[in-house]
Amino acid sequence: MVELVEYAIRGIPTGCVYALLAVGLVLTYKTSGVFNLAYGAQAFASASVFYVVRKDHEWPLWAAAILAIVIVGPAIGLLLERFLFRYLRGSPPMAKLVTSLGLLIAIPEVVRLLLGSDSRKNPPPLWWVGRTDEWLWPQGSAFVLDAGQIATIVSTILVVIGLVFLFARTQIGLKMRAVVESARMAELYGVNSERTSMTAWALSSLLAGLAGVLVAPLFASLNPLDLFTLLVAALAATVFGGLTSIPLTFAGGIALGVLQAVMAGSLPTDSVFATGLRPGLPFIVLFALLMFRPGLRSSGELQDPLAGVDPPPPSPVSQDQPKWLTRGSRAVMILLLVVAGWISISVLDGFWLGLVVSGVCLSVILLSITVTTGLGGMLSLCPAAFAAIGAFATAQLVEATGMTVMVAMMIAGLVSAAVGAALALPVVRLGAVYLALATLAFALMFESILVPLSWVSGGSVPLTVPRPLIGNVDMADDRWFLLFAATCLGLVAWVVVRLREGTTGRFLQALYMSRDAAESIGISATGPRVVAFAISAGIAGFGGGLLASYAGQANYQASFAYLVGLVWVALVVSTGSRSVLAAIISGMVFFLLPAGLNRLFSWPENWLEAHPDASGPVASLLEVVTPSWALPVAFILFGAGAILYARNPEGSLQAQMTALGRFVNRRIDPGGQAPDSGDEPDRNPSADLVGPS
Amino acid sequence: MGEVHMLKVGIVLGTTALLALVGCGNSTGDTTATTEADGGDTSTESGEFVAVDAPGVTDTEIRVEGVTASTNPLGIPADTAGDGVNAYFEMVNSEGGVHGRDLVLSEVHDDQLANNSAVIKGIVDADSAFAVLPIATMLFTGADQLVDANVPSFGWTINPEWEGTEENPKLNLFGQAGSFLCLGCAVPAPAFTADLGSRSKIGLLSYSVPQSTQCLESWQKSIDRWGEDSGIEVVFEDASLTYGTTDLSVQVKKMADAGVDMAMTCMDNNASVTLAKEMKKQDLDAIQFLPNAYDHELMDEFGDLFEDSYVMISFAPLETPEDSKPKGLENFEEWMDKTGGEITENSMVGWLNADLFVTGLRDAGPDFSRQSVIDAINSYEDYNAEGMLPGVNWKERAHTERSQPDCNSYMIIKDGEFELVSSEGTFTCFDVEADTLEPSYQ
Repeated sequence: MVELVEYAIRGIPTGCVYALLAVGLVLTYKTSGVFNLAYGAQAFASASVFYVVRKDHEWPLWAAAILAIVIVGPAIGLLLERFLFRYLRGSPPMAKLVTSLGLLIAIPEVVRLLLGSDSRKNPPPLWWVGRTDEWLWPQGSAFVLDAGQIATIVSTILVVIGLVFLFARTQIGLKMRAVVESARMAELYGVNSERTSMTAWALSSLLAGLAGVLVAPLFASLNPLDLFTLLVAALAATVFGGLTSIPLTFAGGIALGVLQAVMAGSLPTDSVFATGLRPGLPFIVLFALLMFRPGLRSSGELQDPLAGVDPPPPSPVSQDQPKWLTRGSRAVMILLLVVAGWISISVLDGFWLGLVVSGVCLSVILLSITVTTGLGGMLSLCPAAFAAIGAFATAQLVEATGMTVMVAMMIAGLVSAAVGAALALPVVRLGAVYLALATLAFALMFESILVPLSWVSGGSVPLTVPRPLIGNVDMADDRWFLLFAATCLGLVAWVVVRLREGTTGRFLQALYMSRDAAESIGISATGPRVVAFAISAGIAGFGGGLLASYAGQANYQASFAYLVGLVWVALVVSTGSRSVLAAIISGMVFFLLPAGLNRLFSWPENWLEAHPDASGPVASLLEVVTPSWALPVAFILFGAGAILYARNPEGSLQAQMTALGRFVNRRIDPGGQAPDSGDEPDRNPSADLVGPS
Repeated sequence: MGEVHMLKVGIVLGTTALLALVGCGNSTGDTTATTEADGGDTSTESGEFVAVDAPGVTDTEIRVEGVTASTNPLGIPADTAGDGVNAYFEMVNSEGGVHGRDLVLSEVHDDQLANNSAVIKGIVDADSAFAVLPIATMLFTGADQLVDANVPSFGWTINPEWEGTEENPKLNLFGQAGSFLCLGCAVPAPAFTADLGSRSKIGLLSYSVPQSTQCLESWQKSIDRWGEDSGIEVVFEDASLTYGTTDLSVQVKKMADAGVDMAMTCMDNNASVTLAKEMKKQDLDAIQFLPNAYDHELMDEFGDLFEDSYVMISFAPLETPEDSKPKGLENFEEWMDKTGGEITENSMVGWLNADLFVTGLRDAGPDFSRQSVIDAINSYEDYNAEGMLPGVNWKERAHTERSQPDCNSYMIIKDGEFELVSSEGTFTCFDVEADTLEPSYQ
């Protein structure tokens, strides 16, 4: 018992780290209505600035802290509020989530471009020493704390007390809550909602900056991935606090740290529980809380009380697009795809052809996002996990039974669908934010518990997956495989369109437009969404098998890491989550854009090599641009697409289509008279096979 | 309506499944043409310029391309390997090149999101590079394509994809000091360093991922096999840590309770630093065995935390005393300085890759081809890169078996600096078949 208490005490400093991060997330949600997945990225930005000025430029501690935490942190928050989130105040939670997902992807790359991408070893602590272990207290005790831990514990306690006081005792705290709940109602009472919202963002971003600077010295070098990993581990604490209660969130963070320490101390290290449960403990706790925490399903998300008097949301603009545009775009797109296929097969070299084939395989996986998010209105953050399940199942089936890879891919799709259905049963009842968190927790549990098992992933050597042999046609040739993959893509796309046109699709459409209205006419809110989730998982699994077959191996880290899956989601949703074509474009863009940018950014280097005597401002500018910009810029563009999601909730592709339709209509009919025939709105849901709806 | 649609879907899926069942098999993947010996002219008189018809070879240049991890946000950059290759090529070119041609590292591709499979496919398909070097990536997904195309390929051996088997020896893949990793095998280093540091109670820690746990298994076997006679034993083990772990206080407490005086980790430097800080806090007088810590920048920042700990690398370190410094290492330092390259473990790997390639190229003769270069390298029984390596037997072992004897450079950390542990030689070697560890030196 004494030992258990001792282990528990050792878990408190880590618990404070979780609590600090979780409290910041809750503060953002409570004061802005945004579940800010980019919180870790904001923390990274401040920590990077602190590193540069404190360590590289040797600023005094107070000056570095003021710049990084008090100036840069809130400045980022104010920019985000002014240019993004102000316009999202009345948007559904999913729009805010997607925007923050875009920021999560883009901010670290922007920081790297601005401050350099050198490995920043030994991040300095928020203390008067160069390294956390240079100041220990109390010396000689059984429980010694270092400078970083003391700074974190003190800061966390002060922050919690301050925030509790802010919300319970101050006008500004009350105003913040009021504005989040209903800016319109708050304004009726004379509250300046814009100023209040800016204050809230500045405060929460200051806290992100503080967390970044405090947490960074826990690692040997500064890396956004480490901060995000720690942040997702802290999510359980935010859910423990119901996304609203600061004291409960604090308690949840401490409890999580203590639980981890007690398990590390008390479980035999060679037991199945230790090796299986401990690595995924924060995510298991998160998932369990989402499933079983009382009241979460009914009261989790902030809703404007005045929403009831709002008119119903407009129908998707694509449903109002004229028939000629749908048909014309369909014809043009099919023509373009055929031409692109011909060019790929006959012109492209191995590198570009390989990227195109990978893009086609990925497009199949991304169609799963079209089903969950576009049709089902659910933001699932685990498409990569389902794709990995399909890839592993395909590999294991081929290896264990010797069956043909095509049959294995189909069975793998069914396996993945079954897992998807099992996951969907509890999670589809959750609200948008909680559903997203539950699927993220699933992806992380899969990665930390199942992927390390050799009977799942094959262990340290990735499982091999052969390519199909159909009749006498051997898909070992990339050109044949492209045709094969394109055929699979066409079939899956057809299934998605049929699903949308069928009963399930129409039920989902009704639920998407108005859940209350749909339920009032007897449409179950659960059944169609479970079906959609399962089909989506099946598609992702099949696509995962296809991608693995092309790559020759089911390699989790190379193809299916959960963070890569988040980029997929951002890309598809920003291009057009309801559009089949958008999924295809996203798949291609994911592989082709970074490679294309690499070639583009190689040009200045090559030009300067060819013109060694070049000088002047242009040459100086060209010297700055290097091919290493390619991936960061691609990620920034991926993120930017998601950031702009709120402006075009049906995706950038549909926005372009709509703009085109309006432009042509104006040219045809400058007076605004509707044409007599042929231009009536196309209500056929299949219209978005090539023109999204 | 819905039923009809679902029926159609069912028919299509059913038909596809039937097709799959009756008409499909699995590709053996052997349609890719294997590059044959591609020498052109056969005039081989010594000293005479010979025109060669091989990919990437012109009358003035031999061009190679590489692929390194550079900007992958999910990985660790390894692009300094290119600096090592460039420096070596500069040195060779300053002496007139090879077979009358300059060596050119024409492009080092960034594998971006572990996309080296596509990059390598492009290199193979373009057929514009004679060889691929350096390959320094976290994952090596393009290995099979290089093997199929039989392109001489040289790189940083950290993935099991480099290893050959009896059925598929992968004779064209060359790591910096052999291609066989033998993950999970008993290796002498843990037992040797424990004995060297007069430590007897060992704590083992690893992440829960397979590569890490296999490494732990290897350490465990080493102690069991060679440590028993010296009273060395494993008294604490934890193989369930997660990547990015920030708290090892409980593990250190348990290690202290178990009397651990040496910790061996199969984790990244992040975790090694976390462990060292925690040991300092809890006043645990234990050292570490750090297989991945030959990093001078790391030592600049955290060296004092690793006092008396041991580091192992497979090639001669920069800390080799001047009087016994091998020629290869002197050249490396001189040419890295001249070319402004960054000196890191990866740039040394790049240098060694280039040395092996150039040595094979020279020995292949003026009418060289890819195959003749591969054959030349695979005839070496004791390749040592001008003293930078202990001697690699490419002829019989290096592709498919662990090296025998097992030779490495062992260093101890003193005042934040690396120091060779032995004054008798740069490399300390052991017979891995023997029941006891008797060191010999090179």
